[in-house]
Amino acid sequence: MAEARGRRRRPRRREAEGGRRLHSAGSAVVVSALALSFSLLLNAPGLHKSASSQPSGWKRELALGVTGPLEELSSTLLLDRPRRALKAALGRSQDDVIDTRVVVPEREREGPQATPARPRRPLFTSARPLRIWIAGDSLVVVPGESILRAIAGRPSVVALGAVDGRLATGLERPDVFNWFTHVRDVMRSRRPNAVVLMVGANDDHGFMTGVPEGVAVGPFGSGSWEREYRRRVAGIMDAITGSGAYLLWIGLPITRDPEQTRRYDTINAIVQSEAARRRDRVAYIDTYLFFAGPDGRYAQYVADGSGRLVKVRADDGVHFERAAGDRIAAEVLRRLEARFRLRDARSPTH
Amino acid sequence: MLFPTATFALFFVLVLPLSWLLMPHGAVWRPFIVAASFVFYAGWDWRFCFLLAFSILWNQALAVTIHRARSPRARTQLLIVALAGNLGLLGYFKYYGFFVASASNAFAQLGLDLPLEARSVVLPVGISFFTFMAISYVVDVYRGDVEPTGLGTFAAYLSFFPHLVAGPIVRPGELIPQLETPRDPRYVDTARAFSLIGTGLFMKVVIANHLGAGIVDEVFGAPRLHSSAEVLVAVYAYAAQIYADFFGYTSIAIGVALLLGFTFPQNFDAPYTATSITDFWRRWHMTLSRWLRDYLYIPLGGNRGGRLLTYRNLMLTMLLGGLWHGAGWTFVAWGGIHGAALVLERWWRGRPGHVERPPTAWRRTWQRLATFHVVCLAWIFFRADSFSDAWAVIAQLVSAWGEPSPLVTSGVLAAIGVGIGSQYLPRRIPLWLMARFSRLPVPAQAALCSVALLVIHALGPEGVAPFIYFQF
Repeated sequence: MAEARGRRRRPRRREAEGGRRLHSAGSAVVVSALALSFSLLLNAPGLHKSASSQPSGWKRELALGVTGPLEELSSTLLLDRPRRALKAALGRSQDDVIDTRVVVPEREREGPQATPARPRRPLFTSARPLRIWIAGDSLVVVPGESILRAIAGRPSVVALGAVDGRLATGLERPDVFNWFTHVRDVMRSRRPNAVVLMVGANDDHGFMTGVPEGVAVGPFGSGSWEREYRRRVAGIMDAITGSGAYLLWIGLPITRDPEQTRRYDTINAIVQSEAARRRDRVAYIDTYLFFAGPDGRYAQYVADGSGRLVKVRADDGVHFERAAGDRIAAEVLRRLEARFRLRDARSPTH
Repeated sequence: MLFPTATFALFFVLVLPLSWLLMPHGAVWRPFIVAASFVFYAGWDWRFCFLLAFSILWNQALAVTIHRARSPRARTQLLIVALAGNLGLLGYFKYYGFFVASASNAFAQLGLDLPLEARSVVLPVGISFFTFMAISYVVDVYRGDVEPTGLGTFAAYLSFFPHLVAGPIVRPGELIPQLETPRDPRYVDTARAFSLIGTGLFMKVVIANHLGAGIVDEVFGAPRLHSSAEVLVAVYAYAAQIYADFFGYTSIAIGVALLLGFTFPQNFDAPYTATSITDFWRRWHMTLSRWLRDYLYIPLGGNRGGRLLTYRNLMLTMLLGGLWHGAGWTFVAWGGIHGAALVLERWWRGRPGHVERPPTAWRRTWQRLATFHVVCLAWIFFRADSFSDAWAVIAQLVSAWGEPSPLVTSGVLAAIGVGIGSQYLPRRIPLWLMARFSRLPVPAQAALCSVALLVIHALGPEGVAPFIYFQF
C-alpha cells in the first residue's frame, strides 16, 4: 500500500525530443530562484550602479536599499571578482563605478565682461579641417546625424566620430553619466575646434547628485537649484571654451506637454544667459520657434520650405524626427560658417 | 517592463510559483494571470491598460454575439463591426498622423486644403500584436473554427504577458485550450525553457545591442560618411541585429511561457538559411506569416483565381504586411520588395516547361546567398528613415571602396558571425546540450544559469535598448 502511494506521488520520468528530461514545476521554481539569487550576487556592482542611476523617488530608494547591502555581501564573499575580471578584460572597468564628482573650472569673475575685439574667422580647409564633436543626451542624436550628413560633402569639416549621444543623461545626475569628466577627457584627448552640445532635457526634475558638501539644493526652479545648475552649465561651457573650442549649445525645444515646456524654458533661460556672458566663444541656438505651429504652440507636423507637411517630432512629443534634425543642422552649419572660414576644395571662393 | 531587466526578473520570480500554486484552481488562476499581465503592461504606461481592457471586452462581446447570431447576414455584419473596431483602434493609434499628412500633401498638390490636423498619438506598445490576436479570435469564432470561451480565459489569452508586447502571435486554437485546463506540474521542459531564455538574452543583450551601437546606428545615421566596406558590413550587421533582437525576444517569451507550463508556436526557423523568399517567409516571423496567409491572403482569394489574381494577392498581402510594421512608406517598400520577389519566384516556377531540378550543394549555396542578399536589400528600406537615406546607403555601397573602415572591427564581425552563423548550427548540437543540461542536478543547473546571466550582464552595454519590434 505504502509502495503504491509512493508510486502515485513520484512522477514517471518523461523525456522530450533529444532525450531531454522533463522536470517538475517545483524544480523550475527552485532553479529560477537560485539562479536569480546567485546572479544578483555575481552582478551586484552593476545592479547597484543601475539602481543609483534611476530617477529619484521611492523606487530608487528601495533599489538602493536592496543593492547596497547586496554589493557589500558580494564583495565580502569575493563574488564580485568574476564580474570585475570580465569587465577589466573587456577594458570597461569603469562601467560599475558611480562617479558623482562635478569638477568644473573656476568660475569666471562676475561682473560686466570685457568686450574683446571681434575675433578673427579662422580658416579651415580640407588639408586642415575643422574638427567638431557632437554630444549630448538622446535629443542630440537626430540633429547630430543630420549634421553628419550635412558635412559629408564638406572636406573642410570633419566630425570626431559618431554622435556622442548618451541616453537619459544630463547635468543634474553625474552618477548616471558624468558629463563633467567626459567633456574634460574629450577636450584633452581629441581637441575639437568646435563642439555642438545639446543637453538638459533630462534635467527638469530637481534631483541633483554631486552637490558640494554643505550646499542644499531645493526643488526645480528654486533659487538654490538655479544657482547650482547655473554653476554646472557655466562649468561645462568653460571646460569647452577653455580649451580653445567654439561651443554651439542647442536649446531645448517646445514639447507637447506645456508643463514640461515651462520647465525647459527655465533651463533654456539659464543656458542662454550663460552663453550671452561668453558670446564670442559660445553660441546659443534657440530651437523653440523652429517647431511651433502657426499658432505658436507645439506642432508635430509643420510645413517645410516647399510647403509640404512633414513630421518633425516623434510620437513621444519631445524627440525629433529627421526633418527637424535637418532644420537644426542647417542652422548649426550657418553658425559655423559665420564663425569660421570653411574652404572646401570644391568651393575655393567660399 | 522589459524582459532583460532586474524588475522583470523580480516580477517573474514572484509570478512563477504563485501561478503554479493557483493553477489547479482555474477560477482563481485566470484572474491572477490577467492581473499579473496588466501589471506587466502597466510597466510602460498604466493608461494603456484601459485600451487592452477595452480590446478584451469589445472582442469578447462581439465573439459571443456572432456565435449566438442565427442568420449568416447578421454574423457577417457583426464581424464587420468587430473588425472595424479593431482596425479603427489600430489605425487611430498607429496611422492617423501618417495618413493625414500623406493625404494633406496629396490634396495640396491639387491646390486643396485638408481640414484635418496632422498629429500622431502615443503608440501603445504591443497594440499591433494584441489586435491581430483579437482579430484571429473573432474571425475563428465567425468561421466556426473555435467556440467563444469565457471572459476570464479570453482575457488571459489576449493579455498573457509572455506574448503581449511583441508576440509570437498565438492563435486561439493553440492557446485557449491550454488556458482552459490546468497544466501538468510534473512535466515541465525546463531545459528547453532555460536554454531559450539564456539564448534569447545573449542574442538581444550582447549581439543585437553590440551591432546596433557598434556599426548599424552610425552608418545608417550618415551613410555618406562611411566607406563602402563599412556600409556593406553595416547592412549585414543590421540583418544580424534585427534577427538577434527579434529572435532573442521571442525565445525569451517562449521560454518564460514554457516555465509557466504553456507551449507557444515557434517563430523562427533559421531564416537566413532559406533558399528562396518563399522559404524565407516559412522561417521568419512564422506566426505573422501564418496570420497574413490565413486572415489576409486566403480571404483575398489566395491562389484560387488564376495566376494574375494570385500575384495581386501576394503583393497586397506583403504591402499591407509592410505597413503593419510601421507608419511609413519605407516599410511599404520593404513589403513591396518581398512581394515582388514572391511573385517573381511563383512566375518562375509556374512558367511553362519549368522542371524543378534536384537540389545540389552548389545550387543550394547559390540560392541561399541570393535569397539572403534580396532580404538584405529589403532591410535597407526597413531600417532607413527615408527613401533618400535608403538610396544613400545603396549608392555608398558602390562609390567608396578603398577608404578606411574603422568601424569594421573583429568584434563586429564576430557578432555578425554569431547572429547569422548560429542559424547554420546543426540541430543536434543544441538538442544534445539541452539533454545534458536536463540531467544535471538542480544546484548545478542553477549555477550554470547564474554564470550565463553573469556573462550576459557583463558583456552587454550599460542600460537596455528597447526591442526593435516593440515599435511595431
